[in-house]
Amino acid sequence: MADTGKLDRRGFLKGAVIASGASIAVEAHAQSGAPAQPKAAKAPLPTAAQHAAENDTPSELAPLTTTKTGSDFMVDVCKTLNLDYMASCPGSTFRGLQESFINYGQNKKPEWLTCLHEEVSVGMAHGYAKVAGKPMAAMMHGTVGTQHAAMAIFNAWCDRVPIMLFTASAGPVEDRRPGVEWMHSVQDGAATVRDFIKWDDYPWSLQSFAESTARAYSLATAQPPAPVLITADGKLQEMPLDAKASEKLTIPKLNIGTQTVADPNALRDVARMLVAAQNPVIIADRYARSQAGMDNLVKLAEALQAPVIDLQNRMNMPTTHYLCHSARSAALVGQADCILSLEPVDLYGQLNRVTDQLERTSRRKAKADVKIISISTHDLMVRANYQDFQRYSAADISITADAEATLPFLIEAVLKESGARRSDFEARGQKLREAYKGIADRARADAAITFDSTPISGARLFAELWNIVKNDDWAFLTSNNYVGNWQHRLWPMEKHYQYIGSSGGSGVGYEPVAALGAALAHRDAGGRLPIAVIGDGNFNMAPTTLWTAAHHKIPYLAIIQNNRAYHQEVMHIQRMANRHNRGVENAVIGTTITDPNIDYAKLAQGYGAVGIGPITDPKDLADALKKGVAAVKAGEPVLIDIVMQPRG
Amino acid sequence: MRLLSLASLATLLLSPALAQDAQAPAGDIKNGEKHYISDGCYQCHGVGGNGAALTGPRLSRTEFPYEAFINQLRHPGSDMPPYEASIVPDQVVADIYAYVKNLPPSRPAKDIPLLMGMGVK
Ligand code: HEC
Repeated sequence: MADTGKLDRRGFLKGAVIASGASIAVEAHAQSGAPAQPKAAKAPLPTAAQHAAENDTPSELAPLTTTKTGSDFMVDVCKTLNLDYMASCPGSTFRGLQESFINYGQNKKPEWLTCLHEEVSVGMAHGYAKVAGKPMAAMMHGTVGTQHAAMAIFNAWCDRVPIMLFTASAGPVEDRRPGVEWMHSVQDGAATVRDFIKWDDYPWSLQSFAESTARAYSLATAQPPAPVLITADGKLQEMPLDAKASEKLTIPKLNIGTQTVADPNALRDVARMLVAAQNPVIIADRYARSQAGMDNLVKLAEALQAPVIDLQNRMNMPTTHYLCHSARSAALVGQADCILSLEPVDLYGQLNRVTDQLERTSRRKAKADVKIISISTHDLMVRANYQDFQRYSAADISITADAEATLPFLIEAVLKESGARRSDFEARGQKLREAYKGIADRARADAAITFDSTPISGARLFAELWNIVKNDDWAFLTSNNYVGNWQHRLWPMEKHYQYIGSSGGSGVGYEPVAALGAALAHRDAGGRLPIAVIGDGNFNMAPTTLWTAAHHKIPYLAIIQNNRAYHQEVMHIQRMANRHNRGVENAVIGTTITDPNIDYAKLAQGYGAVGIGPITDPKDLADALKKGVAAVKAGEPVLIDIVMQPRG
Repeated sequence: MRLLSLASLATLLLSPALAQDAQAPAGDIKNGEKHYISDGCYQCHGVGGNGAALTGPRLSRTEFPYEAFINQLRHPGSDMPPYEASIVPDQVVADIYAYVKNLPPSRPAKDIPLLMGMGVK
């Protein structure tokens, strides 16, 4: 700096002209792979720092604006993907893209959604895809944003749900501003999450951005689906794009493949095995992704007159059908001589259990000689590190194929093989009709036990709720496992969109974020009443979802199952304390959420949603629910805080 | 060990002599209520002993005879955590037993119109 000498303004401008010519020459050389040889410049060239020190103003000749950039082209690419939304918490690494989406892309298809945490952006895409039947996109700030989002990505991976993920990074080293841009830059943007995404790329040209983004979409939606990630380079985003360069770029046609279907020989063997069985049972796990999937399961069950156990990782079997026997799972698995398992998440766990005592013991739930058939895409996407693949379990016939796409062919094969057995099947069906009648009676008897309890029970909540929404087109956004699953026990669940299963990865925080995204898809479908029952611990991971809902006018009813604890952990700590004979009174330390109690209704109001509660008396429940449902129908996101039993 | 305790539980449940409340030591209901919460029974069996599908069966008005009840605490059959006497003494078990045994009965489903009106018939 000191020996460069002072430049007068004329001299500097001259230098700048030469410098800009030199930089073009350098780029051309760089592309041809030859070493860079700047054209000889007589005067020493000023650096940007020198210029700033001299002048405090940018060069008059350097272009300061442009009409089209790489990020505009990226938007053109994304617009071919039929994406309705891009959710994000803002971050400078994708500033070019964000500006292009909202201005150049007119903030339509996709529309930009504001989230206050990346776990919300990604988690809402998770819930959305399960209702909309197609992915939406989420954009994560380089490094830090992806780190924030990691758990939500993991949940979607485990749950086999497609999401178009984007992150970004500042460009090459010589362009980065010192400091923060380096912190948010990354050599390999996907490394943090690569164990639990299906594919990723860091495209180094706009053409490769177009091709990689199209490839990512088709991979994400091929069964088994999963999140994919594209890193948008900062330099590519912000570089000017002139007409000539634009002309060279092409956006490839999107390749949406058909799904893998079982081969006919294997299906004939499966059909024969099922037809020959005396006590066949169908277990549907992460099976149906559409109404057609549900309808086909009913057809298969009817063709065999076999009971179905719906493990409720998706909406698989209408609860009103006489072959829906999920509540009789233990007895049916124990008696079965043939089990057909559709998209099992954990085949071992369907057949065995392991106790949680000091000495762990396992017990077979099914008969030793039961014939097992599995149809699943499980083996098509197994990684080494994270253990979501569960314990190894062999089947007698293991078909690696998409169960939903395969079912029509299996039904055909069963009908072909079953001629001689029709009357046996009818007799079996008659018995199953009888057994079905008892299921709801038992559920009502169970519900009666807790009906008048204080704190309020799940049974009471679902009975009061039913009374208020029974004539509406309701849909659940959460699994409701911890409040007793009463919707599956006592509500007529017949439509695929009425239920979307659970988190996949059991990452706490899924419920509020997935509920937000699923509610968005229901809003767009029109006329539906979306309902979530969210644990207080779960809700505390993402209360800001209510702000996004209020801001983007996404109505839904968020009922907080407030047991004032991370109750699963209360039970775990209690178990350890018992096991170690160290007293039983301290399990509340580090697990409960009391002193002070959180005022969730106020929190909701602070975020711009309707907040009701806390409701502690079962007699006040109906009134609170009525008010809440009315507000949802008027277009508001609503939270009702209900102080409830720890479970059920 | 586990087999033994399961076998003894089966004997206890089947033995007519033991299947009577008369065998239960006198219990203090108030103290039982206190310990039902502080000893964590509520966590899995619900506040008020009503049970929950995923975590533990109903204890309210239990049909278990006292001997089977205390045996379940000392040698739980499957997933319930064990409670040894040094932690929950026999007298406290008797108190908890008295408490859950004497909880008010719940209304039958047929008397609750909201339940009878629910969905699946
Ligand atoms: C961490 C959960 C948990 C806790 C805490 C717990 N239990 Fe249990 N309990 C269970 C489960 C699960 C069962 C079902 C049988 C089994 O797994 O042993 C059960 C069964 C029982 C039974 C047999 C009832 C039947 O109908 O089968 C009794 C009696 C019982 N528990 C009493 C108690 C008492 C009293 C306490 C407190 C001192 C307690 N439990 C604490 C989980 C729990």
